[in-house]
Amino acid sequence: MATIKVQDLRKEFVTDTSTVVAIENVSFEVGGHEFVSVVGPSGCGKSTLLNILSGIESATRGTVDITEGDRKAKLGYVFQSARLLPWRSVIDNLLFVQSSRGPQVRARCERYLDMVQLSHTAKQYPGQLSGGMQQRVGIARAFSIEPDLLLMDEPFSHLDAITARSLRRELHVMWQETGKTVLFVTHDVSEAVELSTRIIMLAKGGRLVADLPVELPFPRDPASDAVALARADLLRRFESLDLLAT
Amino acid sequence: MSAVAALRTFAVSPPARRVHSLLRHTRSARILSWVGFVAAWQLVVPLLPTDLVPTPSEVAVFMWNELRMDTVAPHTVYESFSLSFQRLAVGLFLAFAIGVPLGLLMGMRRWADWFLHDFVVVGLAMPSLVWALVAGMWFGFGDLAPVVTVTLAAVTFVVINVAEGVRNVPKELLDMGGAYGVGRYATIRHVIFPSLMPFFFAALRYGLANAWKGLVLAEVWASTEGAGWVIKFWYDAHRSQGIVGYALFFIIVAIFIERIVFGRLSGWVFRWRPSDDRRAPEPEPADRDEPIPAAVSAATPGRR
Ligand SMILES: Nc1ncnc2c1ncn2[C@@H]1O[C@H](COP(=O)(O)OP(=O)(O)O)[C@@H](O)[C@H]1O
Ligand SMILES: [Mg+2]
Repeated sequence: MATIKVQDLRKEFVTDTSTVVAIENVSFEVGGHEFVSVVGPSGCGKSTLLNILSGIESATRGTVDITEGDRKAKLGYVFQSARLLPWRSVIDNLLFVQSSRGPQVRARCERYLDMVQLSHTAKQYPGQLSGGMQQRVGIARAFSIEPDLLLMDEPFSHLDAITARSLRRELHVMWQETGKTVLFVTHDVSEAVELSTRIIMLAKGGRLVADLPVELPFPRDPASDAVALARADLLRRFESLDLLAT
Repeated sequence: MSAVAALRTFAVSPPARRVHSLLRHTRSARILSWVGFVAAWQLVVPLLPTDLVPTPSEVAVFMWNELRMDTVAPHTVYESFSLSFQRLAVGLFLAFAIGVPLGLLMGMRRWADWFLHDFVVVGLAMPSLVWALVAGMWFGFGDLAPVVTVTLAAVTFVVINVAEGVRNVPKELLDMGGAYGVGRYATIRHVIFPSLMPFFFAALRYGLANAWKGLVLAEVWASTEGAGWVIKFWYDAHRSQGIVGYALFFIIVAIFIERIVFGRLSGWVFRWRPSDDRRAPEPEPADRDEPIPAAVSAATPGRR
């Protein structure tokens, strides 16, 4: 369980013709066994935020601190597309991101592959799997390094509704069983309500406009009245902020 | 019933129909075209007012004798081809040794791209004949001129393909490795190198095709042995079946390399590809409006 401290974060992308502000003055803190969703319309800087947290991009200004106790936290990252090495087998894709080798490490990878019910594909190549299975490999890969913090960038948005729904359930169970801190990016408000303990809303231009707890008991049935009400409430907030107009 | 049916079938398929249906199958049409070609060749040649055009049977007898090492040439077909292969191998090795670093540099550094771009275009456009003539003039008779010709004829294909490959290393996989803190060595070995493989194959295949032509010319012009030189030997001896026979040896060797060596090798290297087409894929040129990718495909034989 990691602690994230983001302070006065700003990110500009400077191109030949223009400067795009992707993140504008964002601050927040996350700690403990939280499942935090970052919600906002596309282009509002959600991926950029995760990329800065993971170190893929550097911030223009501001600070990011992700710690576990008094050391740097270990991060797992699940991308929008699975980003597997197509020329390595499924199990080798998990081994690729491990910081050490050995029989216990391999056993751990196999265990997480089993957790997403893909043990039987260990020796197959990603190209032999369906999109949903590849995404599950991506999730297993993120869990397999036993991260303190899990970053997820719209992991289910490319999948069909049925696959996405069952993966959301799987993810919820894994989050509860492993006690990780999760930062989950989505543009889908229903998904955020179903999974999160807390929702951070970003608006166009990368401004943080709301930071709300979601106080509904798990398991949450996406068809239940309570979830529908929470979703409606969030959407109303978005509308009142005139965020969807852009 | 069957007798009547058979009769009817026979009645509606006169010979012309049957030839027509034979032609509709790829394999039989191809065999038929070859049989027809060889037969026509065999029949027409005796009518020509010259004895400098060989018949297929003369060529076949010549090739058979060569394969039995019964020849008046100073070297057997095996010796000549193995010498040419050695030159080819050394020349290609040098082309990769020079071309890979240059290609990496061009792919990674923009100034190197600007600096080398025009030379690469010239190199791709240069007929390998010119390299053969120049190398012969510089290095005289011996192994050096053919080897240098191979290197010069192949090196630009290596440079351009490696450069293009470097630009095509998938950024999202590099980022993934970066986010997980994967080390530099593992990144090169498991991300960069595999994604360069299609481009290595393209370099090898196109470089080889160009180098092989250059090699034969260099051996005709600037050598006293090798498969190219033997063709000239038969030319000087006025033995047209020798020229045609050696040309066929060349073709057989080229097909062997293309089908067996490249086919097997790329089937193994690209075994992770989901499709049943496991041949080395053509690298897809990046979205660049510069003429280099076009020059590569223009200067190289297409896929069958
Ligand atoms: N590498 C980049 N170069 C220039 N602009 C970028 C780059 N990455 C993202 N942007 C811009 O930053 C903004 C936020 O992008 P992103 O974080 O991908 O949004 P989201 O994930 O919320 O859809 C967008 O306007 C996008 O065009
Ligand atoms: Mg995004």
